[in-house]
This record gives sequence, C-alpha cells and structure tokens, in this order.
Amino acid sequence: MPPPETAFTGNDRPVVTILSRLLRRLVSTLLVLFGVSLLIFLIARVIPGDPARIALGPRASEEQVEAMRETLHLNEPIIVQYAFFLGDLLRADLGISLYSNRPVMTDIAEYLPATLELVFLAGFLMVSLGLPLGALSARYRDRWPDDLIRLLTLLSVSAPSFVWAVGMVLAFSFAIPLFPIAGRISETIDIQVVTGFLLVDTIVAGRPDAFVSALHHVILPAFALSLSGIGQAARLTRTNMIATYEQPHVEMARAYGFSERDISRRYAFKPSLIPSLTVIGLDFAALLGNAFLVEVIFAWPGISRYGVGVILQKDLNAIVGTVLIISATFLIANIVVDLLVSVINPRIRLSEHGK
Amino acid sequence: MSDNQDADGRFPGSTWACHACVRGKCEVFGPPGTNQEGFHMNHGFGTGLLCATILASGIAAAPALAERILRADEAPIGELDPAKGTDYGDTVLAINLYDSLVYPAQGASGVQPHLATGWSIDGAVYTFNLRDDVTFNSGNPLTSADVVYSFERLMAIGQGHSGLFEGVVDSVEAQGDHAVVFTLTEPFAPFLASLVRLSIVDSATVMANEADGDWASVWMSQNSAGSGPYVVVSHDPQTETVMAYEPDYFLEPAENYPERVRYRYGLDAPAVRALMARGGHDISSQWLPPEVLAALAESGASLVTEAGLTGEYFKLNTRRAPLDDVHCRRALAYAFDYGTLLQLTRITPETTQGRPMSGALPEGLLGFDPERPYFERNMALAQEEQALCAHDVADYPLEVAWIAETPARERGALMMQAIYSQLGYKVAIVRTPWVLLTERVTNPETAPHVVEIAISAVSPDTDSLLFNMYHSSMPHTWMSSSYYVNPELDALLDEGRMETDPAARQELYAQANAILAEEVPDIYGYELLSTFAVREGVTFHNLADPARTYPVSGFNLRFMDISVPATE
Repeated sequence: MPPPETAFTGNDRPVVTILSRLLRRLVSTLLVLFGVSLLIFLIARVIPGDPARIALGPRASEEQVEAMRETLHLNEPIIVQYAFFLGDLLRADLGISLYSNRPVMTDIAEYLPATLELVFLAGFLMVSLGLPLGALSARYRDRWPDDLIRLLTLLSVSAPSFVWAVGMVLAFSFAIPLFPIAGRISETIDIQVVTGFLLVDTIVAGRPDAFVSALHHVILPAFALSLSGIGQAARLTRTNMIATYEQPHVEMARAYGFSERDISRRYAFKPSLIPSLTVIGLDFAALLGNAFLVEVIFAWPGISRYGVGVILQKDLNAIVGTVLIISATFLIANIVVDLLVSVINPRIRLSEHGK
Repeated sequence: MSDNQDADGRFPGSTWACHACVRGKCEVFGPPGTNQEGFHMNHGFGTGLLCATILASGIAAAPALAERILRADEAPIGELDPAKGTDYGDTVLAINLYDSLVYPAQGASGVQPHLATGWSIDGAVYTFNLRDDVTFNSGNPLTSADVVYSFERLMAIGQGHSGLFEGVVDSVEAQGDHAVVFTLTEPFAPFLASLVRLSIVDSATVMANEADGDWASVWMSQNSAGSGPYVVVSHDPQTETVMAYEPDYFLEPAENYPERVRYRYGLDAPAVRALMARGGHDISSQWLPPEVLAALAESGASLVTEAGLTGEYFKLNTRRAPLDDVHCRRALAYAFDYGTLLQLTRITPETTQGRPMSGALPEGLLGFDPERPYFERNMALAQEEQALCAHDVADYPLEVAWIAETPARERGALMMQAIYSQLGYKVAIVRTPWVLLTERVTNPETAPHVVEIAISAVSPDTDSLLFNMYHSSMPHTWMSSSYYVNPELDALLDEGRMETDPAARQELYAQANAILAEEVPDIYGYELLSTFAVREGVTFHNLADPARTYPVSGFNLRFMDISVPATE
C-alpha cells in the first residue's frame, strides 16, 4: 500500500510547512496578547490604592488628586478606560509612567535590552553547558564523572537563582574580587548606545575594551541566573540520552562497530535534544521573571526590576506595558522553540501538515 | 554604573596572566612583564570566555585621570524635575541642580537668604530682592521672570510640592529684573519656609524644550535647567544620575569638593557593603539595615546622622473602638516601651538611629519645648488609664499594621503585641504592603488601629508637619491616619498660619504640642536620625558641625559642602 500522499508533500516542502506553522502561531500570539492586555488591565485596576494619590503624596489637595485622576481617565467606566488604552496602544503610546515620569515606551526601550542581554547570555550558558554536561553524564553513566555532574546539577537546581547570585557576589566580588559588583559597564567607559545591548553596541563602536568590560559585568549575573537552568538541562539530557542508549538503533550501531563517541554524538544526543529543547525554551522565557532578584542584587537596570517597582507604586500604565512586553517575549520564545523542534524533528512537521 | 578598583573590577597594581592553551598551543595574555603565574585552562571556549572576563579587569586597570568623585546612593528611583519630586532623593537632586529664594537656616529654625538677598512682608504681600550675580548653567542670567515662570510651572503641573502653595498664592509678579512680588490670598506665615521647595528653573531653556504645552515635563525628567552647583551629565532614573560641578557657581564650595558626583539608585545592602569595602562607594543611603551599618563601621567607615525633622509615629485610629476613648489611647502610650524601641535603633554604642521625643514635634521646629519630659514607660499609669476606658478591650482585637516593604518595623509591632497583651488586648499583627495601606487608610472605619510610619516636615515650619497630620480638614491619608478631630487644636493650627510673629507662633505650637501629648492621637516613638555610612577620607561638613547643619531632611547632602579625596 502506498504511503499517504500528504507525507510525501510535507517532506518535499518543509519551508512551506514551517511558514504556515509560523503564521498560525503569530495569529494565535496576537490573540493571546489581546487577552493578556485585557486581563492585566483589569487586574492592575483591582489592586487596592489610588494611583493618583500614591503618585502625588499625602500633601496634595483633593483637587490635585482629582485632576490627575481625570488625566489618567480613572473616573471613566473601565470599558472606556480600556478603549483609551487600546487607542493609545495602536499609536505605540503606553502613556507616562508615574514611577519614572517618563513615557513607558522610553522606559521599556531602555530597560528591556538590558534584561534581554542578561537572559540571552544565561540561555546561552544553559545550552552550552547544560547539554554537554548531560551528554557527558549519560555517556559515563554510573561512573565518577556522572556522579560528579549529578551532584553538581542537583546542587544547582536545589537553590533559586537569587541565592546563587548572593553567594556569587560574596564569593567572587567581595571575598575574591574577580568580578564587578554592580552595573553593566565600567563607569570610566562612555559608549554610544545604539541597540541597548552593550555587547553589541561596544562591537559596533569598535571598542574591544568596552566589550570586555561589558562581558566582565554580565558574566556573573548571567551565570547566577542560568545555574538552575543548566542543572535542569543537564539532568533532562542525561535521562533522555540514557533512554535513547537503550533503543535498538543504538544497539545496532554498536553492533556495526561505531565508536562510543560517534554513537553518543550522532545516534543518542540528537534524538534526546527534543524534550530538552522544549524545556529549555520554557526555562528561557521564565528567566525573564526570575531575573528580578538577580537584577536587584547586581543593580542591573533591567525590565524585571522596573516591573516590580511599578507594581509596588501602582503605576497603571507601566504595569500594563511591562507585562505586555514580557508576555510578548515569552510567546516569541515559545514560537522559536516550536520552530526549532519542528526543524530538528521532521515528524512534527509531517504531523502538522497531515492536519 | 559600576564600581571601580574596586568597583569596576580594576585591580591597580596587580599582576595577572591568562594562559590559553588550545590543542597544545599556549598563549599568554597579560600586561608587559607578566609572570607565568596565573590561570591555566585546557578548553577553548571556557578559556576564551573566562580569559576575556579576567582580561577586563586588566584593561579597565588603565590609569584614569585623577578626579574628585563622590559616589552616593539612594533608593529606589530619582526624579530630576523639581516640579515633580517629593522624596529624599528628589530633594538631594533639587538642591544640587537648582536654587531657591530662601534656604533652611543652618543650625537654627526658619530660613536664611539664598537667591533672595532680603525680603519685606506687608500683610499678605511678600517682596523679594534677588541677587544680580547668578547665572543658570546655560549661561542665561537668573531674573525675576524665571521666578514667576518657575512658580507658574510648578502649579500648572500640580505635582511635587505644589500642595504647599495650593490656594495660598493669589499672584506672582516680576518687578524689574531683580525683584519679585508674591501676593497671597491671605496672610500665611508658613509661606516663607515653603519657598525652600520652590526651585527656580531657567525659563528660556525650559520653554525651548516644551512640547504640546507640557511645560517640558518629559524633557525636565531627563535634563536639568537650573543654576545650582551641579549640572546633569547623564541620568537614568533606575540606575544613577551623574553630575558635574559648575565652576561659575555663586557660592564657595568646600575644600576638595567633588568635581563629579555619581548618585546611584536601587543598590541593595550587600552591594553597598561590598562596594564600600572595595573603595567603590563613598556615602551609603540612610536605608541600610542597622547590622549592615554596624559592619561597615567595623570595617572603617564612619557613621554620621542627620536629624531631618522626622518623627517615627505609631498612628492610633481615633475613630475605631477602643481607641476612640482617650483613656485607652493613654493606656497604650504609657505602656509603650520607648526605651526598648530606642535600643532597637542603636547601631553602635556611639550611634543610634533614634532619639526620644517629648511630644508630636521633633527638635528644631517652632513649638518644641526642651523642658517637656521625654515619654517613658509607666505600667502603673497605664493600668490606671485602662481602668478608666469605657470599652472592654477584650471585645476589640487590636489590629497593628506594619508596612511590608520595611521589615524592621515588624519588631515594633511584635513589641506592642507583647506589651499590650499585659493590658488585656488581643493584638493582631498585619503585614500590609504599602499600596494596600494607602487604600485602607482612606476609610477610618476599616483602617488599622495602629500603623507605624515615619513622617517628615517638608519645610522648616511646624505647619508643614502638624497641619497635614492633625487638622480635621485634611483628606484621609497615611499622614492623617489617626483621624483626630479637636476644634481647639484646629483653631491653634489655623491661628499658627495667620500669625507672623515668631514668638507668638512658638507659643501657639507649644500649646498644640501639649494637647497632642495629652490626647495621644499617636504614640510618639522616637525622632528618626537618618544614618549614613561614610568612607574614610570623605568629610560631611554640614553634619560634622551643628552650626552648619540644615534642619530639613536631605539639604545636608549639598555635594559641594562635602570634601572628598581625589580618585586615581
């Protein structure tokens, strides 16, 4: 019996399949963002406290507070307030932050790159250290490298990132002053900010000294942020690879006389990547939220620290803007992971096409 | 922002090397003359990454120009626009970037001339003569038109300290270039002191940056347009404000004044401690926990305190039973353990963050009576008053709220729980986030029975403290959360606003203070002394000499009055 036609078509046109999948995900992402905006808009207004009074302080007169409430449309029905918000959003205007007294978009443009730089590097460390450690552990299963890696990864996942951050500051900035304590770059270096990603801006500016300084500043907070992710990625990869080692195709490879190194790389590691990659993708997005305490400890001027500050001040515009941006980043990370998985695993593409 | 030596990870004088060995081929990175001791690794990526970071310390170790830099911090965010700022950090920015007509008097109550060389008062008309030698950082001369514009801008924006002038000023007019006339709606004695909060902006520069009639509101939150001793070099409200000294400033700075200031935001306690230990920070914020301040003192920092007309008050809800009965309130006040609370504020045997109070007024305000005895615990009197209370306290669980963002205050709540159980109260301690508290205090019927909160006078005038806290016309906010209503007190506070003779005002406020001590709308815990850790070599002249100390919180951090060593 010939195989289903769809299987051949899907296999022949993987790019079309991926693009159509991407389009569907983008549409659903927009819907989700709309839902998130509505939800957070409502939640922000349910939090107790009058934002106008909080912003103006106890000495402001009732008239002044009332004037600010008018400016913020707080006296309108909530559906009208939401309509104002959507109208402004379509003009890429999220209003003025009562926390920083600047446009929320300015704050986000300034603080988001700092957090993304931290999170990207943490994600890079998760992948570049977590996966090889997991593979190494599986390859030397029940031998001392495996025991050592399992012990280290257990330690790394058993404490949250802020605990590691405090420990690392004490160890590597205070007791052994190898790394800076705070900030993104040496205060003696003046660099033109273009993208907000200092590792990129310093290269664009042709300043290797500044690049090294920026890297020097980011490495410790990124490592602290990534530690539990590294542990989780390593443990997951190990488990999956051990399961893969027991598959018949690995036995066959051994029977053909392939070296253990080849078997590990070509026949065990790649199939084990898919679940690890999915979890790493989710971890990566979660790093945005986890970054808050790391940003506080390292005085890192990022969006997570800003987000908590605006929530504590009940800064409505900034709360909604920050949550929307973090949600969008989370959703984009998921889309990227989905696409990567479908690239690595053709069966997913085929099943999508079959649908 | 970062640290140097220290803070940026620079290690002046250190010798280091980084050996990168990839596939048997080794290279040594390091400064000329590097010896062969150092890091030795055998994997390409790890080597590259680690070496790059270690190299950073060496590259950054290039000698910097010797400059006198001061690094201080404040939490959590800084507002540059003097028409919007109200917090401690905002005050520090305002006094360093801008000038006002008058300044709080050093070592005394009241005000002293600043931009105004003198003034005359004719009922409700105040005429100020201005200095003619002051220029803005832009080079524009400061004139009376700038004073008029600054006032109009403050009131139009309607934020910051505009509440001090709301309904008070009828008109402001320039008389020539160097005289300005304020006409008040009626005589208002605290007006002169309120002017310490009117920062004068460069009207030409501000107007040039207005957009859509916004009074340059967004621009002014990123830039400065003042005549102050410093000018903004860069500003990030979540990170730091960098300021440079303006050499043409009309007053003389201290010897070795800081040429550049990095005023940092949002540093947490471990970071400040580590930075100061490595010489990367000079003055801590006042918000460090006592144990961190003590550790810094042990490692060589000096501790200095600023009494900024701030009281630590335990606001009693006079609208909720059983505290609507004055005898119950007195019982709580007599039973209160002031000594233990003060002990909790002690950092070292020599330094404390609090001093006792004898009434509602901190020392230095009109009406403060040095002869009044400080409050002390007296359980016998407490029990006597409790017996007079009309309520059976067992029927009313006492809700004591502490602000979740200030964990040190939980100790005060726990102390109250332990003490008041001896009087038969069932005390419920409620950890309350600040935002929730601001909502709860708007309704006296459901507001907590007790809230511990620090409240400062915003001008060197008693009115700026007492009126907002105790006049019955004030809206229900955390400042007025005892909801006290007393027509006699209202009359005294109203009269204090109208009376211009200082001696008569002293008497009026002394009477008000006595009523407040007797009626106990609050328990007056202690007068707060803001405590800063100061690195060795930095001299805080204003706080070292009581005759030079400004009584209003934040004004002593005028950076040009601080001496710092040069930073290599």
